[in-house]
Amino acid sequence: MSTTNNEREVILSVRHVDVAFDVGGKKKFKAVSDANFDIYRGETFALVGESGSGKTTLGRAVIRINPCSAGEIFFNGERISGKISRQQDRDVIRNIQMIFQDPAASLNERATIEYCISEGLYNFHLYKDNEERIAKVDKALEDVGLLPEHKSRYPHEFSGGQRQRVGIARAMIMEPQFIIADEPISALDVSIRAQVLNLMNKLKKEKNLTYLFIAHDLSVVRFIADRIAVIHLGKIVEIAESETLFKYPVHPYTVSLLSAVPMPDPIIEKQRESIVYTKEEDDPNASPREMREIRPGHFVYANDEDMVAFEERLKKLESYHAEQA
Amino acid sequence: MNYFKKHMFDKYSLDRHFGKAPQEEPAQEENAAEINEDELFTFAEFDEKKSEVIAAPRYSYWKSVWKTFVSSKITIAVSILVIVVVAFAFIQPLISQFDPMKPKHPIEYEYHFLSPSWEHLFGTDGEGNEVFDVVWSGARNSLIVSLIATAIDMVIGIVIGAIWGFSKKMDKWMIEVYNVISNVPFLLLAMILAYVLRNKFDQFGEVGAFIPLIFTMTITEWVFVAYFIRTQVMIIRDREYNLASKCLGTSTWTMVTKNILPYLISVIMTYISRQVPALISYEVFLSYMGLGLDERHASLGRTISQYTSYMSGYPHLFWIPVLILALISISLYIVGQKLADAADPRTHR
Ligand SMILES: Nc1ncnc2c1ncn2[C@@H]1O[C@H](COP(=O)(O)OP(=O)(O)OP(=O)(O)O)[C@@H](O)[C@H]1O
Ligand SMILES: [Mg+2]
Repeated sequence: MSTTNNEREVILSVRHVDVAFDVGGKKKFKAVSDANFDIYRGETFALVGESGSGKTTLGRAVIRINPCSAGEIFFNGERISGKISRQQDRDVIRNIQMIFQDPAASLNERATIEYCISEGLYNFHLYKDNEERIAKVDKALEDVGLLPEHKSRYPHEFSGGQRQRVGIARAMIMEPQFIIADEPISALDVSIRAQVLNLMNKLKKEKNLTYLFIAHDLSVVRFIADRIAVIHLGKIVEIAESETLFKYPVHPYTVSLLSAVPMPDPIIEKQRESIVYTKEEDDPNASPREMREIRPGHFVYANDEDMVAFEERLKKLESYHAEQA
Repeated sequence: MNYFKKHMFDKYSLDRHFGKAPQEEPAQEENAAEINEDELFTFAEFDEKKSEVIAAPRYSYWKSVWKTFVSSKITIAVSILVIVVVAFAFIQPLISQFDPMKPKHPIEYEYHFLSPSWEHLFGTDGEGNEVFDVVWSGARNSLIVSLIATAIDMVIGIVIGAIWGFSKKMDKWMIEVYNVISNVPFLLLAMILAYVLRNKFDQFGEVGAFIPLIFTMTITEWVFVAYFIRTQVMIIRDREYNLASKCLGTSTWTMVTKNILPYLISVIMTYISRQVPALISYEVFLSYMGLGLDERHASLGRTISQYTSYMSGYPHLFWIPVLILALISISLYIVGQKLADAADPRTHR
């Protein structure tokens, strides 16, 4: 699952990105601050946090819907944030696609499924003639388990799961390298979540994709993510490989997130009641925090004092797991 | 083959192996051990695709609009009324050849002020003209002017409003333009234009006479349409499906035509259904004030203004054109509203 070979190629690089919104007058609301991470080609990188923590905002910053107010984003080594040329913008669109959070809101209700899926093809003329376009649409529909006869239907005739698959088909047809999946299953019925997840995994393998998978629930992410970043109130507090994060969570917010999910892990389960993480319990004159690498590939948002506590905690976890083995 | 190994050495298997009769019937599941593993995992035939088939008949937007529209008897009745009235306004003047410059019986007093009868449907006026002819010629011109003016207002307003709603840069200065234009005193502008433009377009024949009035009705009106559309566009501009289109590289213009305007059909219809009657009233009002069509052309407004002087002696002369005006305005408004309702897919079943 987790790939630890050394020559991993960075596909997306987010460097100290802030995203701020105007909220009346001169005031700015920082929805994301100092996001800093790399995503490697071929992995599924999950971004997990509760509602309103800035996950969508960050995903949309990558795809250039939200401008970054600070920092830079690189895709395949090229800067894609801020002012870029029209050609670069089009390259970004071709190579980075998004699956939207709300399948009920993300399809044009006045257009047929054929148009919805062909939209990107039209914009980039990715077909020789109409026949080829239709063939591509049929293939895309088939890939996501829908039928060619759905082409002439309208979105409101579909169930949530079917709509989400239309959303997936329309992203896939662009043959992107990188897909931002914004809580692709949270609006869906529990019974079809697995279906959509499996589909996404299947397509990832077939098409050699990289995912930025946004979720608000760690349990969903555990089985599909290679690495996980936990975001809290616009700040990424911990990044680690999926298994590491579940076994050795160090940041108190991560621990509280894990405690929200009933876990088979006894040490976490034992601590469960005691953990309610409120962010600003720490004193305001604490020294500034930043992302620090506590173990290779395991980053946590901390200052010097935090590091001492985190290190201690990590030691405990390590000895516990060693005992278990 | 762990499964088999395990079972090979339990009592039941051993018994069997050595040819002993089993002491008790093995349970049903244990029997399964005998079936070879491949068979165990062949699924019952199940066509997954079948669950994706949509049984509902094909949905077509315009067909549904039509079905909803004709589903109400009142709507059909009013629509027929509108068609009859409009057709009548366009056909009757061709038959009567009424010309306000050529009164029918200017000095034959026996033809003046006749009461409505079968022979003279709406009676006659102070110049011996058939009121029936006068009213329908006037209605025709009022309709022509207001329909053309509405079309121009809507086209300019929608195009500019759609771009305005999308462009934050344009919004900054367009708001100022809107503030200025919407605060121009309309009557003053109408007066100036009426005097400046009068007879300037005579070389275009009959159409030329309508141009100044249409100009007056469009020079400022478009800005209100544009503002209305701008607000509507802003409301749905940032909806997720538009962000999705943006992420697929759709140009702003395609967004306007494919993503935004189709959603606005209903509100635009509502706007038109108010605009046409409003502009008919405008025409009447301007002509009443002497700022509308010149005296060579019949006009409901001028007819009403002329007939006001007969109010005491022959009140029907005043009321007939007023009622025709009301009939046209109200029926057009109702049909427009019903069309707007039908264009809203939430009313579709
Ligand atoms: N366009 C905007 N203008 C102002 N504030 C915004 C805007 N978009 C998002 N926000 C704010 O930014 C914060 C983060 O929002 P975001 O949509 O990224 O949350 P999220 O993590 O995706 O939550 P959810 O799980 O509910 O989707 C929220 O407090 C939200 O109110
Ligand atoms: Mg979100």
